[in-house]
Amino acid sequence: MNGGLKSAKMFLTRSEYDRGVNTFSPEGRLFQASKLQVEYAIEAIKLGSTVIGICTSEGVVLVVEKRITSPLMEPSTIEKIAEVDRHIGVACSGLTADSKTLIDRARLECQNHWFTYNEKMTVESVAQAVSNLAIKFGDSDDDEGAMSRPFGVALLFAGADEKGPQLYHMDPSGTYVQYDAKAIGSGSEGAQQTLVEMYNKSMTLKEAVKTSLTILKQVMEEKLNSTNVEVSIVTPKDNFHMYSKEEVEEAIKDVA
Amino acid sequence: MALDSLCGFATGQPSFKAFSSMCTLQNDLDVFSGNFKNNLQLMNPPAAHIPELEAMKVDYKDPLHRERKTPYGFYKSPLGYGPMEVPDVGAATAPSPGGGVKIQMAHGTTTLGFKFKGGVIIAVDSRATGGMFIGSQNVKKIIEINDSLLGTMAGGAADCIYWERFLSKQCRLYELRNREKISVAAASKLLANICFHYKGYGLSMGTMIAGWDKRGPGLYYVDDDGRRAPGNLFSVGSGSTYALGVLDGSYKWDMTDEEAQELGRRAIFHATHRDAASGGVVRVYHVKAGGWEKISEVDNDKYWEKYSDQKMPIVIN
Repeated sequence: MNGGLKSAKMFLTRSEYDRGVNTFSPEGRLFQASKLQVEYAIEAIKLGSTVIGICTSEGVVLVVEKRITSPLMEPSTIEKIAEVDRHIGVACSGLTADSKTLIDRARLECQNHWFTYNEKMTVESVAQAVSNLAIKFGDSDDDEGAMSRPFGVALLFAGADEKGPQLYHMDPSGTYVQYDAKAIGSGSEGAQQTLVEMYNKSMTLKEAVKTSLTILKQVMEEKLNSTNVEVSIVTPKDNFHMYSKEEVEEAIKDVA
Repeated sequence: MALDSLCGFATGQPSFKAFSSMCTLQNDLDVFSGNFKNNLQLMNPPAAHIPELEAMKVDYKDPLHRERKTPYGFYKSPLGYGPMEVPDVGAATAPSPGGGVKIQMAHGTTTLGFKFKGGVIIAVDSRATGGMFIGSQNVKKIIEINDSLLGTMAGGAADCIYWERFLSKQCRLYELRNREKISVAAASKLLANICFHYKGYGLSMGTMIAGWDKRGPGLYYVDDDGRRAPGNLFSVGSGSTYALGVLDGSYKWDMTDEEAQELGRRAIFHATHRDAASGGVVRVYHVKAGGWEKISEVDNDKYWEKYSDQKMPIVIN
């Protein structure tokens, strides 16, 4: 966050680049005020709860930390993983309110794709479609339907299509990249490091669930339990599946 | 003196003068097999005016749906001799109130659905007709909206297929957004709202939406006027009167699954027997608590023997 403020100050002194809409600065950065917002939005993700995704040849796993900030809170109403279509799930970190808009767009695109082409949408196409919405922001008034700021969420798309199981990461700038394993949110730096060390291509899905929960446990302040963690898998055979309370307990038992 | 003037025909009458020239092989081919050259062109039927085909001459591009001035599309001028005469009816044809269309499609179909103690039975035929023409004997008139919802189609096949597919999409979005299955009442209302929205624009559909939700079995009738009605027993299409005759005679709430499936099958068979616009395969589906199940898809021929004792023989004196 500090880094973000510093760079803002640095740019504010260069007022000549401040005038135009969508201009590059000599450092090669977009100067439009709202484009700068992208960088802050990416910073904002780093305050969000940790999400880890691992892609194996058998399927993809998503694990999410749920922050229970009050004992009076109903944990089941915090939804960090959502079903986009039978074969695609998505996990989000950052502003949850923003994520609802993106998730709904992903679902709508999937259904429209089925309606038009009578086939299921590929994971990459879903990421592409959502990124089209994510970059619809700017500070000019002439663009109807543009939003004033970028979405403050990062997403991990987990899915299985004709290319097999895949994991995609999308950030607030709309950039989407395929990963074997990716961590986002507050614990992402440490978690990503550990993922690099622990990931291998021949992992089984069961091992991936265990690995992701082990890493999540390391970066979480709270102790792992079935209310503060969400687990879901996507396999080519059984599609999207959200773990029940019992299944999460079973998976955690493995980790402890 | 030529024969034609002797008989009182004016000279130059095409039926005499041009007869020999018309009998060339090429001309024969052009006239009687024009559809081989251009497969969009069907040979003109022998009768000069067939009401169903007259109705097709309505210009679908014209917002008032007046008869079109120049023939395009479907069929050639009468037997290929000279251009077709199109009477100028443009100004005389008043549009129906609310900009409605002239075409009244006969819903050439038999579909039925009824609730009983074991769920909902849906049974349909499989014939597609356009006027007097049988287009297909293998149409799927039961549309599987999702695992627990079925829709039937009568009327315009394209309208039914398109909008029930649209409904399927909306139902899927509903369950993703609300994390529960859509009710039959809500699903049928979605379709009825679409029909009402397009009222007067020429949609043609008579459907039943059947399913099972938390309220139990559900059966709704929805049509192109935007009408929607819940009920225990419906039959839609040109053969519906025949089907209802069989259904009303034998329907009871307390039937076993087999009895109910057999009743649906029998009603469709008898309807296809009497209604020329219904036929093909009898399809029977059964909606139960866990979702729908396909019970049978059997050609009417197979039922001929089975039901023959129940039919009055057609005697022509």
